[in-house]
Amino acid sequence: MAMDLIDIDGSFGEGGGQIVRTSLGLSLLTGRPVEIRNVRAGRGKPGLLRQHLCALRAATEIGEAEVKGAALGSTFVRFVPKSIKSGRYSFDVGSAGSATLVLQTVLPALLSADAPSELTITGGTDNPFAPPIDFLKFAFAPLLARMGGDLKLDVERRGYYPRGGGRFIATITPGALKPITLTDPVEHRVSAIAYIAGLKKSIATRELNVLREAFSLTRDQMRVVELDANWGPGNTLSVSLEASGVTEIVTGFGEKRVRAETVAERVAEEARAILDAKVPVGEHLADQQLLLCALAGGGSFLTLPPSLHTRTQATVLKRFLPVEIDLREVDASRWRVTVS
Amino acid sequence: MNKPITLIGLLGTTLDGAKGKKRWERWRPTVSLFQHEDLLIDRLELLHEERFESLGEIVEDDVLAVSPDTKVKRHHVSFGDAWDFESVYATLHDFARGYVFRDDREYLVHITTGTHVAQICSFILTESRHFPARLIQSSPPRPRSAGGPGSFEIIDLDLSRYDRIAQRFRQETDEHLSFLKAGIETQNDAFNKLMEQIEHVATASVDPMLLMGPTGAGKSQLARRIFQLKKQRQKVSGDLVEVNCATLRGDHAMSALFGHTKGAFTGAQKERPGLLRAANKGLLFLDEIGELGLDEQAMLLRAIEQKVFLPVGADREVESDFQLIAGTNRDLRAAVTKGEFREDLLARIDLWSFTLPGLRDRREDIPPNLAFELDRCGARMNTNVTFNAEARKRFLDFAMSESASWRGNFRDFGAAITRMATLAPGGRIDVATVDDEIARLQESWGGAASSGGDDHEALHEVLGDAADALDLFDRVQLAEVIRVCRASKTLSAAGRALFAESRKKRKTANDADRLRKYLGKWSLTFDQVTAR
Repeated sequence: MAMDLIDIDGSFGEGGGQIVRTSLGLSLLTGRPVEIRNVRAGRGKPGLLRQHLCALRAATEIGEAEVKGAALGSTFVRFVPKSIKSGRYSFDVGSAGSATLVLQTVLPALLSADAPSELTITGGTDNPFAPPIDFLKFAFAPLLARMGGDLKLDVERRGYYPRGGGRFIATITPGALKPITLTDPVEHRVSAIAYIAGLKKSIATRELNVLREAFSLTRDQMRVVELDANWGPGNTLSVSLEASGVTEIVTGFGEKRVRAETVAERVAEEARAILDAKVPVGEHLADQQLLLCALAGGGSFLTLPPSLHTRTQATVLKRFLPVEIDLREVDASRWRVTVS
Repeated sequence: MNKPITLIGLLGTTLDGAKGKKRWERWRPTVSLFQHEDLLIDRLELLHEERFESLGEIVEDDVLAVSPDTKVKRHHVSFGDAWDFESVYATLHDFARGYVFRDDREYLVHITTGTHVAQICSFILTESRHFPARLIQSSPPRPRSAGGPGSFEIIDLDLSRYDRIAQRFRQETDEHLSFLKAGIETQNDAFNKLMEQIEHVATASVDPMLLMGPTGAGKSQLARRIFQLKKQRQKVSGDLVEVNCATLRGDHAMSALFGHTKGAFTGAQKERPGLLRAANKGLLFLDEIGELGLDEQAMLLRAIEQKVFLPVGADREVESDFQLIAGTNRDLRAAVTKGEFREDLLARIDLWSFTLPGLRDRREDIPPNLAFELDRCGARMNTNVTFNAEARKRFLDFAMSESASWRGNFRDFGAAITRMATLAPGGRIDVATVDDEIARLQESWGGAASSGGDDHEALHEVLGDAADALDLFDRVQLAEVIRVCRASKTLSAAGRALFAESRKKRKTANDADRLRKYLGKWSLTFDQVTAR
């Protein structure tokens, strides 16, 4: 593979940290050096933030990379990886960044390494604006397994903003990915879990009541999980939409000054869109499925109209990998994504 | 590459003080600074009283939880009263002095936590660069219930927009020092250091002070300023009493100093309190203390130590509480050896002894003193006295040269300025006035010095302005060579005179050649030197 330097304009598309992380992850995977300019150029606090530095540091360690611009506020990063070094790693990101984002950055490369890896990551597991750990464990990992990859997640403790302190161990066993086709409309089974840490249990039951009414859930489709109060306060409402072996997870987080019912209604609305469209892949899984298809060299799936996030992902993927990505509208609520 | 940042801050016992699970729902200034996505603090130096140990531990743990790469070091400090300016300042000052600040790090001083007094002290110590740091201020989220780390602002006092604040602080510290120096911008390091010491002692001590130095060095002036400084700082409530002991001779001395009762001796028609009692709760300046008689010295010692003494003719001791400043131009130790001065009195008064340099030892202070004296004359004469540029240069060249001995120091200097100011046509001192004054000064300092002026002239005649650039070493030598040449008919004759001693020891000598080579060093010939 050519080792030409890939030049990425960080202000492009969604223009946030996602471009940075995806570019780093793909550079690490392909061994192609990358330069990212205009990092988060349009944002209020432009340049790299602490959470991006955490991801960059993890990628640097695993890739034994040479790096320029690894500083807070830097709007330019040059990343030149040397290898993909599998093994045991431990990363502590505090509450500054999501622990799951660090895993996502390095996962593609470790899936194609020559030996398994074990990553212990400490930090926030349930942060807004990042994939929650339940999404990775119950939606992403099973899908990856179906395609031939192996990611095991052992959640020791959940960590909420601002305290952080969550910890999970990710065991990654490399394997060649096979393309998969998920293009048929599906009927979902809905279930929900409300996690609560250091807050009143009634918050969880009020959230579940909203979902029960919205989706006619039975008691065995709902669970309240009470976590160690010392690691609170925190509340996650996790709704699982499962159909023919593929699961999408929709998540809501309890917030100060926001009623439990409101949190649940937002989640219900998002879940309802997927149920009504009968798509196997929702908005969150679409980004990841796009990546997995690109790694497998092909595949297609039916999903909701693509977000700016997904379109940005597609553009960055095409820069690094020899793939064509076709986003095609099927009808008002459904699009078909094809990777070849 | 950014330098790693160290944060120095006080534990906020109120704002940082949340305990229990709910603490994560509260905004805590110290912890909040570690939660910002765009601020990465490498190290925290957290200062707190020992009794807040458990709170300090919580804050340390929570900082580590949100920012695992940060190293936290806690320091126990003891403010005593956290609202007492002096003790807080001293404590923070000690910390700053003892802390090793490194060039490869950046420092931030957190001013949001601690009492207002602590905040002010942190500010002052940062402004004075005891903390080579920028200030950081943290603010809660708006509205507070919105959650999150809030905001922060970094204030760099080195930036010019903060100059005015900085100036205000600097001015205050400088004022006292400047006061002792009568506002004269003196340049001499040793003198400035001396003034700093005197300032400290004058403010802090009520023990006697001894001002040594040649006559006219400014001892009385300084004593007056010390008094005013003490008065300003409310260290004395009484008056300044000044007396030159040289004027207190004989029987008269005792009663002048210690007073007498009515009828104590012939002519003592009324009671006299004496100078010591006049200085009660004030300051007594005894100039030329070496001139005091031995009896008076004994009485004075008792008055300093016991604060009581016996007036002439009295049978009961009286009290007076004064601070003594003694002045002397004599070597009191030598006077002790000769039995003219009491050793115990010297030991008592030279606890704080300061030697004022003579004017010739601080020539760089002549220009600022010239400006000061001119102002003083102008004020006294009700007119503005100035030099013209050439005259000013002529006078300063002379005044700062080695040929000006300034035997009478500031007394001579002040007198010279006063004479020139008085004689100056229309208040403007010209070259003629300066030349006359230089001649007058040289005459008063006697023969040896007067040749200095001639030397200067002779060198100027042969070298022009280059003469000003000569070192004293060369100037003296060359001037004498010129003098001998001019007194000799030929180069050889001059050579013989100049090298007479070596001639005696050697058989042959080419004195003329040696002289020619010496003159050649200055690109001069015998003819040039002797042509007038």
